[in-house]
Amino acid sequence: MSTYIDVASETATTSKAIRPTGFGEIIPALLFVGIFFIVPVVALLLRSVLEPVVGFGNYAELLGSATYLKIFANTFIVSGLVTAISLLIGFPVAWTLAIMPSRLASLIFAVLLLSMWTNLLARTYAWMVLLQRTGLINKMLMGMGLIDQPLPLVNNLTGVTIGMTYIMLPFIILPLYGVIKKIDPTVLQAAALCGANRWQCLTRVLLPLAARGMVAGALMVFVMSLGYYVTPSLLGGTANMMLAELIAQFVQSLVNWGMGGAAALVLLVVTLSLYAVQLRLFGVQNTGGR
Amino acid sequence: MKRTIALAAFAAILAVSGTAKADTLVFTSWGGTTQDAQKVAWANPFTDKTGIVIAQDGPTDYGKLKAMVEAGQVSWDVVDVEGDYAAQAGKDGLLEKLDFSVIDKSKLDPRFVTDYSVGSFYYSFVIGCNADAVKACPKTWADLFDTTKFPGKRTFYKWSAPGVIEAALLADGVPADKLYPLDLDRAFKKLDTIKSDIIWWSSGAQSQQLLASAEAPFGSLWNGRMTALAASGVKTETSWEQNITAADSLVVPKGAPNFEAAMKFIALATSAQPQADLAKATGYAPINIDSAKLMDPATAKTLPDQQTASQVNASMAYWAENRDAIGKRWYAWQAK
Repeated sequence: MSTYIDVASETATTSKAIRPTGFGEIIPALLFVGIFFIVPVVALLLRSVLEPVVGFGNYAELLGSATYLKIFANTFIVSGLVTAISLLIGFPVAWTLAIMPSRLASLIFAVLLLSMWTNLLARTYAWMVLLQRTGLINKMLMGMGLIDQPLPLVNNLTGVTIGMTYIMLPFIILPLYGVIKKIDPTVLQAAALCGANRWQCLTRVLLPLAARGMVAGALMVFVMSLGYYVTPSLLGGTANMMLAELIAQFVQSLVNWGMGGAAALVLLVVTLSLYAVQLRLFGVQNTGGR
Repeated sequence: MKRTIALAAFAAILAVSGTAKADTLVFTSWGGTTQDAQKVAWANPFTDKTGIVIAQDGPTDYGKLKAMVEAGQVSWDVVDVEGDYAAQAGKDGLLEKLDFSVIDKSKLDPRFVTDYSVGSFYYSFVIGCNADAVKACPKTWADLFDTTKFPGKRTFYKWSAPGVIEAALLADGVPADKLYPLDLDRAFKKLDTIKSDIIWWSSGAQSQQLLASAEAPFGSLWNGRMTALAASGVKTETSWEQNITAADSLVVPKGAPNFEAAMKFIALATSAQPQADLAKATGYAPINIDSAKLMDPATAKTLPDQQTASQVNASMAYWAENRDAIGKRWYAWQAK
């Protein structure tokens, strides 16, 4: 346990040293946020209540229409699903990375990062080619005689979930790895010596210690998923439309900025509320991916 | 007042991105092979003739166009847009009136000329088929909507635009001259019958990929994509039966920095030879009536302007009028 505390206090000191001391030093940052975030958001908010007529008509239409509500629900279902599966796959991967020899681990990290840096569109198209009815996966399964009809893996919820989970995995593995790496292995040994079986070691020692990383990673994946556009648009069917695509339709194609602004703002409010809840539950210190 | 502040904010953001210089003209189109062809057929000869350099931008984005005009910071001079959008944007005051003393419209197909726009090229939605993948290819829209005679997936254009609704109504037996005003209830009812068999394409490249891989062995495609697919070696069949035509248009956003040069560019782009060159490169039809004689007959024969026997004109005016209303129903139906 002592190592864990040492590491934690050491990090705290480091971050204190680079923390700005006066108001003057944060003015550039405030200006940046002001110009590139606050101003556009305020402009968007204004659009949503001023166009095409002044009032809350856009919000009424957005929240009163079964279609748009379905798209909202869809957005949350897909994001939730992607987050859950990312956690399920990401945790064992992060755990394995944390305990494996560091040379091998850095090799795997290189692969992870390389995939992250590859163009999103290229990766999404690659999945399309793999998953379609005449694609590699279906052809292989049919060739092996496991199925005689191609599985519907793409242009539906399955396709969106597979594609998005794949893209999101690094974002959950990295923070989880950071947390797990800091857990002192002797804690687990101690638990085992005190008679805990493997399951108890996992649920009563490892998971609680890694909880912060899991929450931070899960929130990041969930929030990023809420705003996803390219992947659901290409790998999903029209019944899986997500909010970002609806906003793009409003803004680019229908040129209805009032509705686009309203939808964007609803998404923003939901995201910020989620973030606020997390801050409340876990505090500022623990949301930084540690 | 609040609106002014919002617009000022937009202006500030756009100002950062800068405006075009006077000796260059910014041409914006959809990217891909079509814009490459526009560059070769139109921009290069224009630069040779006038010395004005053409900067290519893209893809066309109606939201961006509107933002530029409202903020008074227009960086696009000539933009390639869809015909129905051109009609709507002209009415909404987002476009400059064209100067027809510079652009000679006497040789242009009058279907695609308005005060604010001239045709860019014209295309047809045709019934395309991968002949290697199926025993028989659908010939008519009714065939394409008939899942017993032609089982399997079929591909259609994903966005709300002229083409698919017309095809559904034609398939349901509506005569071509009775299409407008569109009976949306009837169209969506017909579309319901094949909804689970539709794979949507959202870009021309995707439509080719779907057909070539036989993921969807047939569907409704832009005719130029079928030409390109055939050229790439896929055994295709194209049915021109009731091909549905629509055109892209060239427009000038209100407040474009180089209006006069823009007029000269549009004049050249719509003249006979550049239109013929573009048609040869893309498989889309010229909107200049003199272009056909500048092409070899074999090429000319494959273009939509030679397929008039059972051609159906999508009404740009009707779509411009009802774009928003149709769009809302379209996406509601798709998401259902």
